[in-house]
Amino acid sequence: MLRLIICAFALLSFSSFSQETCTLSGYITNAKDGETIIDAKVFIPSISKGVLTNTYGFYSLTVPCDTYQVEFRIGGMDTETKEIVLDGDIQFDFEAGSDFQEVDEVIVNANASDNTNSTNIGQIELDIDEIKKLPAFLGEVDVVKTIQLLPGVSSAAEGGQGFYVRGGGPDQNLVLLDEAVVYNASHLFGFFSVFNSDAVKSVNLIKGGMPANFGGRMSSVLEVNMNEGNYKRLSVKGGLGVISSRITVEGPLKKDKGSFMVSGRRTYIDVLMKAFINDTSPFAGSSYFFYDLNLKLNYKLGKKDRIFLSGYYGKDEFTFNDPDGDFNANMPWGNGIASLRWNHLFSSKLFMNVTGTFTDYLFSFGSEQDEFSFRLKSGIRDIGGKVDFTYFPNPRNKIKLGAHYTHHTFTPTSVSASQEDIEFDTGLAQELKSHETAAYVLDEFDLNEQWKFNVGLRYSTFSHVGPFTRYIKGDISSPDTTIVYEKGDLIQFYHGLEPRVSMRYLLPDNSSIKAGYSYNYQYVHLTSLSAVSLPTDIWFPTTNIAKPQIGWQGSVGYFRNFKENKYETSVEVYYKDMRNLIEYKEGALPSDNVNDNTDNLLTFGRGWSYGAEFFLKKALGKLTGWIGYTWSKTERVFDDLNNGEKFAAKYDRRHDLSIVASYELNDRWTFSSSFIYATGNTLTLPTAWYVQGQDLLFDYGQRNSTRMAPYHRLDISAIWYSKAYKEKEDPTTGKVIQVKKRFKSNWAFSVYNVYNRANPYFLYVDNDGDFLQGDFEISVQQVTLFPIIPSVTWNFEF
Amino acid sequence: MLLLLNGCTKEVTIDIPGYEEKLVIDGQIETDQPPFVMLSKSKEVYAPTDLDAFLNGFITGAVVTVSDGTTTVQLDELCSDNLPPGSEEIAAAMFGISVADLANYNICAYTSFNTAIWGQVGKTYTLNVTFEGQTYTAETSIVQPTTFDNLYWKPEPDTPNHGFSWVTLSDPANQFDGYRWEIKRINTNPDGTTVDAGYTPTFNPVFNDEFFDGLTFDFAYENPHAIGPSVPEDFRFLYPEGDSVVIKLSKMDRNVYEFLEKKYTQLATAGNPFATPTNIPNNIEGGALGVWAGYSPSFDTLACYE
Repeated sequence: MLRLIICAFALLSFSSFSQETCTLSGYITNAKDGETIIDAKVFIPSISKGVLTNTYGFYSLTVPCDTYQVEFRIGGMDTETKEIVLDGDIQFDFEAGSDFQEVDEVIVNANASDNTNSTNIGQIELDIDEIKKLPAFLGEVDVVKTIQLLPGVSSAAEGGQGFYVRGGGPDQNLVLLDEAVVYNASHLFGFFSVFNSDAVKSVNLIKGGMPANFGGRMSSVLEVNMNEGNYKRLSVKGGLGVISSRITVEGPLKKDKGSFMVSGRRTYIDVLMKAFINDTSPFAGSSYFFYDLNLKLNYKLGKKDRIFLSGYYGKDEFTFNDPDGDFNANMPWGNGIASLRWNHLFSSKLFMNVTGTFTDYLFSFGSEQDEFSFRLKSGIRDIGGKVDFTYFPNPRNKIKLGAHYTHHTFTPTSVSASQEDIEFDTGLAQELKSHETAAYVLDEFDLNEQWKFNVGLRYSTFSHVGPFTRYIKGDISSPDTTIVYEKGDLIQFYHGLEPRVSMRYLLPDNSSIKAGYSYNYQYVHLTSLSAVSLPTDIWFPTTNIAKPQIGWQGSVGYFRNFKENKYETSVEVYYKDMRNLIEYKEGALPSDNVNDNTDNLLTFGRGWSYGAEFFLKKALGKLTGWIGYTWSKTERVFDDLNNGEKFAAKYDRRHDLSIVASYELNDRWTFSSSFIYATGNTLTLPTAWYVQGQDLLFDYGQRNSTRMAPYHRLDISAIWYSKAYKEKEDPTTGKVIQVKKRFKSNWAFSVYNVYNRANPYFLYVDNDGDFLQGDFEISVQQVTLFPIIPSVTWNFEF
Repeated sequence: MLLLLNGCTKEVTIDIPGYEEKLVIDGQIETDQPPFVMLSKSKEVYAPTDLDAFLNGFITGAVVTVSDGTTTVQLDELCSDNLPPGSEEIAAAMFGISVADLANYNICAYTSFNTAIWGQVGKTYTLNVTFEGQTYTAETSIVQPTTFDNLYWKPEPDTPNHGFSWVTLSDPANQFDGYRWEIKRINTNPDGTTVDAGYTPTFNPVFNDEFFDGLTFDFAYENPHAIGPSVPEDFRFLYPEGDSVVIKLSKMDRNVYEFLEKKYTQLATAGNPFATPTNIPNNIEGGALGVWAGYSPSFDTLACYE
């Protein structure tokens, strides 16, 4: 198989044209701020050849040497045509927007026709400006909340942590911020994501047909890139909201050579709580806040080299202090992420990116009561590097290859406890070290005008190494034993080939059929004890007990655009199979992680999901938006759970509908709304009660056999923009002209849950009274989080 | 958190499929005590929790035997309205009701006055229940007990004449030790009876030695009777000076410990979305709920004076 693919690549790569070829390459940037533009299209109409810029704004197009009218098609701007004499390899860096005005009224998707043209199946790019127009919960524009409005993507629950793609768990999403992995992309238990919208440049979601350059997760890739910063001038933007504020400063390090961007955001729930809660309240000593900081620096070292330094640091902190002073607790958690990248052009056809990444996620909990103190920590630290090459042999062919390495250090649980001078034996801190590597090659090529393929192969390995202590639990009344591995001992090695194929067959009438297949290994797991996702969920690596998750997904879709790409439609069906999924064993407790290995508490099973997704998007015009509908079924089967019978996954949703619309009334007002409907989540509730030892106990029935009421909600928003232009007399002509204002601002008014629907967050069986007193009652209670919530945010930019 | 605090709760009626009626076995055997087994049935979750109906609904007509490996004894069916003379107090304590209430209910259990099958340290006991053509079996052991090094009462500085009770415990090293903590106040009422008829578990009554294997240390335990709206907040969980308290520290095998641990976890977390639904594992084969528990207690009496 491997040999066959390599031969095919070689054949396609070196198939040359009969006449001499020249390469046109370069970077496309925005003339306004110098930011590179992703997915801008460079197109030569006379020979119908074109190419898109990559994540770094680079393009390369090899065509027969000649003189061409070359079109540069960039989102939000008119297409500009340049005549280029291509008599040799030429680097042509293009500044978009220098010769013409920005089109303010309409956001045009640069690759509108790529809905049908590309091999991308299950891939959606979101325009950050579009996201900012949509209704936002408490005024906080959120990338992750917006992708949950797309078909095939759902949230765990209202404000749930993470997101679920096509029946996969939240750990199966590869979330990348400037190429560094983000393990926990949530603030405040999932009500907000870690992505500050002012610092975000682009968002790309791949939910099927994952190309071979991505790996390590089974379900999806969410690629978020930060703004590079303004190369031209110092600029500031920010916003004041009801619970948080943010500010971003960007500017040139050296004009047109380098730039910086610094962005910060902080909530002030803690300050508001102090204002509303008096000193005698039991919550008087409690507070919560989060903040995050984004930083990006980049510098052009020459025509062929650029470096980027990206950083993110965010932290949530919850504290509780008993007003009587008897008990206090503190729970901080957060991510620290950094990446350093170097782009190098070996030639106009060969682009290289070298990246070093650092990711640190830490959750901790500490409490003190009288003389007793308790501390718990859980976290991950990744240090990695990768090198990726992109080779453009001819316009029909783009080859990528690369290698990745990550050193993981997982600390699932580290506990210490003491009482006065006695230190309790809480065992050794569980620290698991491992090496993950991968190498890949892929070729995206046109076989002819109709057929286009993206064929790739990825090979990944994972080594769990010492030092490590394996606990072996004793039988009845017998003690536990341990096996100790020394530093560097190889405890377990896994490896596997991951073939990836996606294809497009172009049909007449601006339509196409696409299909994708991907096979993935995933070497990390997320274990959750709770019915809702929390920062206490534990990340855990593959070990000799916990095998790697293995999944494959096949999908087929029909894509069609109407009315000159004004309307994009698609229908996709998929089937996903997942092996070695993990769950906690029945009745596992958080304290069981102490003095034990987390994987001893786990049980392993299989899952599958299938469904159909329907998507209609209006991309152009005053009214834009989309309707997405998903029908799906997601099930699990574990030998040790539910008597070995299959059960619905907790986020199994039969129906999921979202309707999103945005209407630009004029240059001052934009109105938006979003409506979602989703089948209720499943959960496990007791089916029976019984009495033992004078206590009334519950017997739980089939796992996830109860379903909550459906979830539906309507949000609306209106944005009022200040005047973009001011009138000024032209000193030379004496005429009154319109001049663009430097200071711009807008007021965003939002109403969340307009008709005040009491959506279920979770259900529980409540027992009230005393059974032995004869006044005992059992009832099912539904907890709802958010009623109708209006909010207002003031945003500014200068 | 402010948002969470604002969350609202309402009662809903929702279909909970999968109810299946099961036999519930609540059996125990303790050092120097007869085996005692009560049989009942589980009820659908929405079924009324009528105490009278429950107390009158214990199962009779089952065949219940206990074996220590050499001696096998069929237990006698014993009902509260048909007790052997002189056994009322013991029966009331076993049933968990007052002697006066015995006549009001028809509570039935299975036990034996044959001392050959009463609990002995170091023995393993097998329970066999046959009912409606179905047989259920379970096994439990009475392990070596652990005694206290010391008991004492220490007043709380800010609460006059009240304090926690403390114990010094030396945990045996290199073995699994599961403990259950119960207390009984033996102050006498004016009528000569003691304040408490039976033992009451403390708030976190079950623990094991995972964190203190082989250590000698002191710890405090709460007064499970000092709770509720009638007790001022500063006095909750405290023992008043002058109380006389019998402490019962029972040990058990790992299966019984796991049943009790999960039981108390379920009692503490039922309805909590941040915990997994706790199905309580048991040591009974055949599909019944409940437990067959062997206990190995140590007793000591504490007079609450400094």
